[in-house]
Amino acid sequence: MIALLRTEFVKAARRTRTLIIALALVGLPTLIVVAIKARGNRPDRGDRGEGLFRLASQSGLLVPGAVLSVMSGFLLVVIAGSIAGDSVASDASWGNLRYVLMRPVSRGRLLAAKASVAGVLIWAATILVAIAGLIAGIALFGVHPVNVPGLSLGGTGAGFQLSTGALVARTALGAAYVAFSFSALLAMGTFFSTLTDTATGAIGATIGVYIVSEILDSISQLGVVRYGFPTHYSDAWTTMFTANTFSHDMIAGVVVQAAYFVVFSAAALWWFRTKDIRS
Amino acid sequence: MSDPIVSTEGLCKRFGEVKAVDDVTFSVERGQVYGLLGPNGAGKTTILRMLTGLERPTAGNLRLFGEPVTPSCAQLLRVGAMVEQAAFVPHLSGMLNLKLWWEAGGTSFADADLDNALAVAGLDSAIDRKVRTYSQGMKQRLGFARLLLSRPELLILDEPTNGLDPGEIREIRELIGRLTDDGATVLLSSHHLNEVEQVCTHALVINHGRLVADGTVSELIGSSGAVYVEVDDRDRAQAILAALPSVSDVQQQGDGLVVHMRDGRRSDLAAAITTAGLRLETLMPTQQLEDAFLDLLAAQEVAS
Ligand SMILES: Nc1ncnc2c1ncn2[C@@H]1O[C@H](COP(=O)(O)OP(=O)(O)OP(=O)(O)O)[C@@H](O)[C@H]1O
Ligand SMILES: [Mg+2]
Repeated sequence: MIALLRTEFVKAARRTRTLIIALALVGLPTLIVVAIKARGNRPDRGDRGEGLFRLASQSGLLVPGAVLSVMSGFLLVVIAGSIAGDSVASDASWGNLRYVLMRPVSRGRLLAAKASVAGVLIWAATILVAIAGLIAGIALFGVHPVNVPGLSLGGTGAGFQLSTGALVARTALGAAYVAFSFSALLAMGTFFSTLTDTATGAIGATIGVYIVSEILDSISQLGVVRYGFPTHYSDAWTTMFTANTFSHDMIAGVVVQAAYFVVFSAAALWWFRTKDIRS
Repeated sequence: MSDPIVSTEGLCKRFGEVKAVDDVTFSVERGQVYGLLGPNGAGKTTILRMLTGLERPTAGNLRLFGEPVTPSCAQLLRVGAMVEQAAFVPHLSGMLNLKLWWEAGGTSFADADLDNALAVAGLDSAIDRKVRTYSQGMKQRLGFARLLLSRPELLILDEPTNGLDPGEIREIRELIGRLTDDGATVLLSSHHLNEVEQVCTHALVINHGRLVADGTVSELIGSSGAVYVEVDDRDRAQAILAALPSVSDVQQQGDGLVVHMRDGRRSDLAAAITTAGLRLETLMPTQQLEDAFLDLLAAQEVAS
C-alpha cells in the first residue's frame, strides 16, 4: 500500500498542471495582499461582506484567513475538483489503468491510493494558500494582535481583541476546516472519476455539483434542505475571527462532510471493483 | 498431466444485446504459441481482457495456471500482457514508467529483469525522455520491455504489431520468436494471417464471438482445401488418390497433382502413395492460412 501511495503520488505530482496550480496558489494570495496594502487602511470604506478583509491590514497573521475566505469559495473548489476528478480518470484516459491493474494491483487499494493522493494534494493546496498569505501578510503588515470592532462587521456584540497566539491557532484551525470541507468533493470527484475515462468529464461534474450546491444554498426558500448541501457550512469557520465564537455550524459541517465522504467513497469503491476496465 | 496454462469453458461476454464472446472453449498448453485470429470486432480483445481480469465474463469459466481468474488475481504475476496498444503515463520518462509500474506491485526495482527489458526495448537514451515524445513503435517496444520485467511464463499480446512499420513488425516478430524459443507460452491476437502463420504453432479462429476453428496451424491450413502432390508416376497416383474416401477430386497441374480433400489428414495421402510403392517427391498444402481462414469464415456465414 505504501508503494502504491508513493507511485501514485509521483504520477500526480510530476504533472505540469500540479506545478501551475502551485504557482497560482502562491501567486494569488500574494497579489491579494499587495492589493490590500495598496488600498490602504481606510476602515470607513464601504463594506459588502468583506469581513476579514477589512481587518487584514491590521496584522499579517489575519491575512491567511482573509485569503482563504475569498479563495475557498471558487478557486480552491476548481482546483480541488480538478485534482479529485482526475484521480482515476487520468490513468484511464492515458490507457495506463489496465496496465497498473495487470501488475496485479488490487482495485480497492489502487482506488484508496489514488483518493489519498488526491486528498493530500487538496490539503497541500489549502495549506499552501494559507502559508503564502501568511508570508506575504507578515512581510507587508507585520505581526500584531487584531482589534475587531463590535458593530462594524454587522455583529451586535462589543469589540474584542485577538492575540497573536489566538490568531495563529485559529488560522490553523480555519485552514484545517477549509481543507476538510473538501472531503465531500474529494469523494464525489473520485466517484465521478471511476465512472468515466475522460478526466474533463469527471472534473466538470465535480465542480458543477459544487457550484449548483452553492447556488441552491443561497436560495433561502429551500429551508432546512440546504443544511444537507455540501457547501452549506463552508464558511462556518470565519466567526472565529469576526465574532470571537466557535460556531456550532463547524461541527455540523464536519458531520455533513463526513457523511458525504462515506457515502461517495463506498459508491466509488463498489463501482470501481465491479466495473469492466476498458482503458 | 499438468494444468493447461490458459483454459476457458463456455466463455461468454455480452454488452447489452451484443454477444461479443459467445460460448468459447479452448486451452493453451505450456510451450504452445497460440494465435487468436478473427476479423475486426470478432471479440479477440474482449477475450484477452477477460483473461487478464479486466472484464468479468457474463458466463463461463476462465483459468490461468489452473486457478480461476478474478480481478487482479495473483497468477497475473506470471503473465506479461499487452491489451490493445501499449500505453504509459505520458509526462514521465520511459524509465520512470517502468520503475513506477514495477514498484506499484510492492516489489523492488532491483528484482526486475531490467537489463533484458531494456535490450528488448532498444530505446537507448530515449528511455529517459518523456513517453509523450515517443512514436507508436517506441511505445510498443517499451510495452514489451514492461511486460518482460517480471520474466513472465505466459505472454498475452493483443495485435502486437498493430500500427508499426515493416521494420518494426519484423523486429517484434523476431522478438516473439526468441521468447518462444526460450520456452514462453504465448496467446496472441492478430488479423494478420501471415503473422500467425509465421509465429504460431496453433490458432483459434473466432468470428462474431464464436469459435470457428481450433488446431495447429498446419491442421487449419490442411483441414480444408487442396494439397499439391508430386510423384514419380503421376497417372497411377491420380487413380490411387481418387479412390480414397477422403478425396473428392484430383486434377493434374504442371508436373504434379492438385488433390481436393473432403476431410482427413494430408498424411493419409502420403501413406496411400508410399504403400503403393510410388516415390513421393512433394506434398504441401496449396492453401495459405489466409484461404483457410476465409473459407472458415464463409462457412460460418452460410451456417448462421
Ligand atoms: N464496452 C463495450 N460496449 C459495447 N460493445 C462492446 C464493448 N466492447 C466491445 N464491444 C463489442 O464487442 C465486439 C468485440 O469487440 P472486440 O474489441 O473484442 O473485437 P476485436 O476482435 O478485438 O476487434 P479488433 O480487431 O477491431 O480489435 C464488437 O462488436 C464490439 O463492438
Ligand atoms: Mg481488438
